[in-house]
Amino acid sequence: MQNQDLQEAFIRLVNDSRGILYKICRMYGATEPDRQDLFQEIVIQLWRSYPSFRGESKFSTWLYRIALNTAISDLRKQRRYITPTDPDLLPTQLQDIQYSTEKEEQLQSLYAAINRLTELEKALTMLYLEDKSYTEMEEILGIPQNNLRVKMNRIKDKLRKMTKEAAYGIGNA
Amino acid sequence: MELETLKTIWKDQDLPPGEETSRDQLMALLQKKSTGPIARMRRNLRKEAILMLVSYIPCILLYWLAFDGLMSGVGWLFVVLLLFFYVYYYRKNQLLKRMLCISCEVRSNLAGQLKTLRRYIRFYFWSSTLIVPLMTSFAFGIALNNRRLEHPSINWWRVISLLLLLIAAFTVGIYFFNRWYINKLYGRHIAKLQQLLSEMDED
Repeated sequence: MQNQDLQEAFIRLVNDSRGILYKICRMYGATEPDRQDLFQEIVIQLWRSYPSFRGESKFSTWLYRIALNTAISDLRKQRRYITPTDPDLLPTQLQDIQYSTEKEEQLQSLYAAINRLTELEKALTMLYLEDKSYTEMEEILGIPQNNLRVKMNRIKDKLRKMTKEAAYGIGNA
Repeated sequence: MELETLKTIWKDQDLPPGEETSRDQLMALLQKKSTGPIARMRRNLRKEAILMLVSYIPCILLYWLAFDGLMSGVGWLFVVLLLFFYVYYYRKNQLLKRMLCISCEVRSNLAGQLKTLRRYIRFYFWSSTLIVPLMTSFAFGIALNNRRLEHPSINWWRVISLLLLLIAAFTVGIYFFNRWYINKLYGRHIAKLQQLLSEMDED
């Protein structure tokens, strides 16, 4: 394939996967500039690996691997960011949201809860929320399914607890 | 909120206004260099190698061509040092290239990264520590050569004792400095990788 055709095909694929990339950047980037940096780095890594993608795994599996590998193993320092203890306060302080709706508030609470998870837990949560099967999670993360199930149950408990706390205002001063 | 509700909220989220990237912006991104740490380390290594070449070649030529060829030995010593540094850069670059397997499973990428980073650090530590006796002897040799032109009689026992003392002092000093410096550079990242891997492996 010519380089230009390759670029066009790649851009189409990135555009189709924009939602996933946005969610990963929002999960792993503490501030808006961090998210933009991460998005740029993921796109560059995807582009570099794209010519060697032979379709041995599903495109989404390949994309998740690259995006999560880039996000998790990123050595760079995040911009100064203080994690508040109150999950409700966390994202709303950072966002310049002018389109705040009830749906967005719920989403903020969800991200606030996710922000309190470890990096691995974030990856698992995202795959769970994206309705990925344990087989696909194993293919992406390389963790055996039995182990994944145990971890997932723990994370679900944590999320339930955290979102309940947020709903009932526990932890709010 | 129930987890199924969370799933619905998650799936329904739209790209906020201003988050869309145009085709042209994406095209421009493809031309950019990676700002990832490993890519940056490789770029710095290349710059260092070029700087070394640019600074050593005039020295080599000077010692070969000037002083009526009397100092050509020093020029050859610079060539040996330059070769040593190039082997060092080549090895470091090979290890850096192997450090990332970006399209591998996350666990195997992290495990590979940790293993290669440890090898990289070992190589970095020992080569930058062991170069010190070589450089000290080299600098000492040049200074001694210059002194011999002015004062031909030399007390060799004193000279050798002084050389050994200098080598010991510099090597011990650099050994501890390297330990501190390498830990400062990579310690946090190694700890993060270890913690991620043990979290992945625990039941």
